[in-house]
Amino acid sequence: MILSKYKTQAGMVIAPLLAALLAFSAPAQAQPQGEAVLIKRESQLRDAPGDSARSLAPLPPQTSVTRLGERQGAWIKVRMADGTSGWVHMFDITSASASSGGAAGGALRSLSSFFNKGSAQAPSSTVSTSTVGIRGLGAEDLANAQPNLAAVAQADANRVDAAQARQFAGSASLSSRQVEPLPTPAPPPAASGGTAPEQFSR
Amino acid sequence: MNLHHLLKPAMPLRHAACALALLAGLAPFGAHAQDAGKALGGLFQSLIRPNQPAQPAPAQPNTAAGLAGALLGASLSPGGQQAAQGGDLFKLLSQSLDQIDEPREIQIGQQLAAVLLGSKPLYPDVALQRYVNQLGRWISLQSSRPDLPWTFAILDDPGFNAFAAPGGYVFVTKGLIDRVADEGELAGILAHEITHVTAKHHLIAMNKTARAGLLTQVISSQLKNDLGGMVSSQLLALGKNMYSKGLDQQDEFDADRTGVALATRAGFDPYGLVGVLQQLRTAAPDDALFALSLSTHPPAQTRLNQLEQAMGTRLDAYAGQPAVTVAQRLNSANRRPTAQAPSKAPAKKTN
Repeated sequence: MILSKYKTQAGMVIAPLLAALLAFSAPAQAQPQGEAVLIKRESQLRDAPGDSARSLAPLPPQTSVTRLGERQGAWIKVRMADGTSGWVHMFDITSASASSGGAAGGALRSLSSFFNKGSAQAPSSTVSTSTVGIRGLGAEDLANAQPNLAAVAQADANRVDAAQARQFAGSASLSSRQVEPLPTPAPPPAASGGTAPEQFSR
Repeated sequence: MNLHHLLKPAMPLRHAACALALLAGLAPFGAHAQDAGKALGGLFQSLIRPNQPAQPAPAQPNTAAGLAGALLGASLSPGGQQAAQGGDLFKLLSQSLDQIDEPREIQIGQQLAAVLLGSKPLYPDVALQRYVNQLGRWISLQSSRPDLPWTFAILDDPGFNAFAAPGGYVFVTKGLIDRVADEGELAGILAHEITHVTAKHHLIAMNKTARAGLLTQVISSQLKNDLGGMVSSQLLALGKNMYSKGLDQQDEFDADRTGVALATRAGFDPYGLVGVLQQLRTAAPDDALFALSLSTHPPAQTRLNQLEQAMGTRLDAYAGQPAVTVAQRLNSANRRPTAQAPSKAPAKKTN
């Protein structure tokens, strides 16, 4: 009953939101377009994706740039304040909100979590408070869920086998490659209990 | 078990008989049922939608027959025959993980999948469900456990989230499908979830919680949900607790890192998951569509920092392939003559 109430609620607002969503995701690249981001470390604005591409301008740390829609592999297109646009590596940017607490790049990054202790506790309360308008599956839905074994059987029926998967890969021009496992980095500083300086300082 | 429900008119007896064939193997109730058809109708119905007047599952082709077929399919699933009761599974989980062999792991996964599918229904677009299965199965073939009965499903939910359950179940929300920029990003997410399964992160987490005896309160409040012993209320409580609390942070970092390598191995852009995390980073923590994924995962910027340290430029040589959107892939699949064209697939439904 609670579930159906949510459905009606969501149903009333779903049309305009859906329209907005569609408009947002219509272009080929649905990345966070127009987002202001900060350059994390000394880098260059490139005229094409890749480290060997021509440099258009130096990008000192803390430069603010606007993210445009495109991404190609590790590289995203950005626009500088003077209107020049070009490409930067995704690992060379950080969210603009992270700057306020001094979470700049390089060596400073590891210190940032000590300085802004952030409201790491905030997320647990947001789960239950968001009840207006459209919302995603939340802890409440899980708590109220009655197990639906018939739906599991339906999902099972949609399985494909290995041969079908390989056929799909072939038609999609995907082939497997040898890739070494990645090394395990040291855990993040103050990993205990999810300190969240960057995420929740905005 | 509610025996008062009557057999629905839309549920002919022969389907009830099919259901009997399945259920007989799972629940020892036959002896009590004087009118087998009637009792089964009730059980069947309460399994589908316990709290609501029965309504056939959303928009799957010819519902009654489809459901019966799907149920029969379930009876063939691995471990189905010698089904341990849910309570036994819980007992095993609270002892040692060594006792949980693959068939039992799959059974636990089925029960947790039932919880997730009880909170949100399957998205009623068979072509899209099939596509996610093809994509996910292909990635799983490059994983350390290619022979699990991998099952991928889209939940009909506008939020942005993904879940996995032991034994090879992976779920993504429709909202997630709508928001990924391309197939490479979706592949990155599926590879992350696949890693949770291959590394048994959920089993380990539930084992920890069960052994610590942390769930007694939740359990007593959940007891009335027990469906004739087929689904363990304790197991449900463990699962619900885990999905709303999230996994260990270190498990998430591990799934990010191993998932990136896995997606790359399967031929995808290594930066797909990085692209997703950048998007997740910009989501406000109080955005109701992102609330659960943000509250159950380490902050996106921390995950990005960890990935940056692990990846460096190691995988850059594998990057740069042209991006294909989900819609483009579905369209080209529809145009292919080999596809058996099931009565006009919904074009462009995804974007």
